[in-house]
Amino acid sequence: MATTQKQPEYFRVVHPLEDAPEQKCVSEGLGQIAMTPSVRLSLKILRGYLTMMTAMLLYHVLDLAGVLKHFKL
Amino acid sequence: MRLEEPQIEVAARPAANGVVVHSTWQKHVLTFLMVFGPGLIVMEADNDAGAVSTYMQAGGQYGLHLLWLLVVLLPICYFVQEMVARLGIATGKGHAAMIYERFGKWWGRFSLIDLLAVNFLTLITEFAAISLALSALGVSPYISVPIAALGLTLMVVTGSYLRWERIVIVLCLIDLTWFGLAYVVHPNWGTVARNTVVPSLPPGGVTSSLVFLIIAIVGTTIAPWQLFFQQSCVAEKRLRFSDLKWARLDTLIGATFTVCVAGAMMLVGNYGYQHGIAFQDPAQFAGAILPTAGHFARNGILLLMVNAAVLGTTAISLASAWAYGEVKGWEHSLHKKLWEAPGFYATYIACVGAAAAIVLIPHVPLQLVIISVQVFAGLILPSAIIFLQLLLNDHALLGDRWVNRSWNNWINWTIIVVLFALSLLLAAQVMLPKLFA
Repeated sequence: MATTQKQPEYFRVVHPLEDAPEQKCVSEGLGQIAMTPSVRLSLKILRGYLTMMTAMLLYHVLDLAGVLKHFKL
Repeated sequence: MRLEEPQIEVAARPAANGVVVHSTWQKHVLTFLMVFGPGLIVMEADNDAGAVSTYMQAGGQYGLHLLWLLVVLLPICYFVQEMVARLGIATGKGHAAMIYERFGKWWGRFSLIDLLAVNFLTLITEFAAISLALSALGVSPYISVPIAALGLTLMVVTGSYLRWERIVIVLCLIDLTWFGLAYVVHPNWGTVARNTVVPSLPPGGVTSSLVFLIIAIVGTTIAPWQLFFQQSCVAEKRLRFSDLKWARLDTLIGATFTVCVAGAMMLVGNYGYQHGIAFQDPAQFAGAILPTAGHFARNGILLLMVNAAVLGTTAISLASAWAYGEVKGWEHSLHKKLWEAPGFYATYIACVGAAAAIVLIPHVPLQLVIISVQVFAGLILPSAIIFLQLLLNDHALLGDRWVNRSWNNWINWTIIVVLFALSLLLAAQVMLPKLFA
């Protein structure tokens, strides 16, 4: 009857900085992101948000400079 | 996509590269320790000088009533930063580079310029905190600020990412002292436990100052630079696909640790609430509690304020240097020597040096700087987080393996909507204060 002898197991743990490099997800050659409806909507909302914030900032700066006092009731 | 994935292999005999262990348990622990770092650092560095001030003000003005908010913020921090870690591992690139490549130059430049501006203004507040805290300990700003700037520069120019990481992890662990301080000021632990799990409002209900403080807490817990920093840090550490689960654990531990430290800061601030001590900043508070709480509490707060500012400065400056280096196509790695990545190190040193120099200018308008930080952060956080969410749904880039699942998207879009609303509210309150009068 054959006997099976269990071989001792070793685990080799390698630090990420010492390991062989992996092929990552490559973005070169892909160009810009596909303009799906959700991407287009997200960017539109972002533009609207930034426009609103810029307008508020402009108002605040003009207000601080005293430019708007002539227009206030 | 992958050339080779497993970094841990079952070998019949010890191999030359790596550390050999003999059990699965040891393998998991050792792998985690090797991956551990970016998640803790990005989270704890966010408890910077501004955060110390905000959390202590929250405790000083409203006692323990806002502790529950930190518990709410814990999963939000985790979900946002988990996406960052996943994107970093999948692409091996930083966030700024990804925005440039996938959304074009306009959005790339907008994100980069806004990031650099908000980071630089934040750095000024960090050095102001170092100056303030060490002045209270009798050290002139003309000594403390240049020494801090020099130390922060020496930390990164050693040509070793791991050396920098180990130093910063030690600085993060110094923040454990906040728990000692919280213990020393003797809060009512029953009230602490109740207010941590049961949301409550302070006496007086919802006021504009309460809303402002809640938004400030959210804003200080989730900062724009964190997205850029962790992704670059993960890329710098060359984390592998199989490291993702450990990077997630690192991020979760970091988020939990940070929220607990923030809670301890609130408990310390609560001492002022209990004893009727009004204060404008933590240094003033530290001086005021000396007669009743003792030297340990006073010196501890001041030194931890310096530690928070140093942590914040090194992480924020690196976020700027990595982002700028990626976009410019320069060598941008802490593995490189000073002369091998001159542009990258010059950006870091310029950020640190210029912020330190500005703080030493007499009568610098710090209030204007703080308001500008809030406005720029209000601009960049929602946009950076939108790009992050869109990139994590980019099948062409990431394939099916790394993109968000639908439950991820539900959670993340909810977080984005809330952050948009809060950012808008904060910016409106800062820029149009009469709107809420």
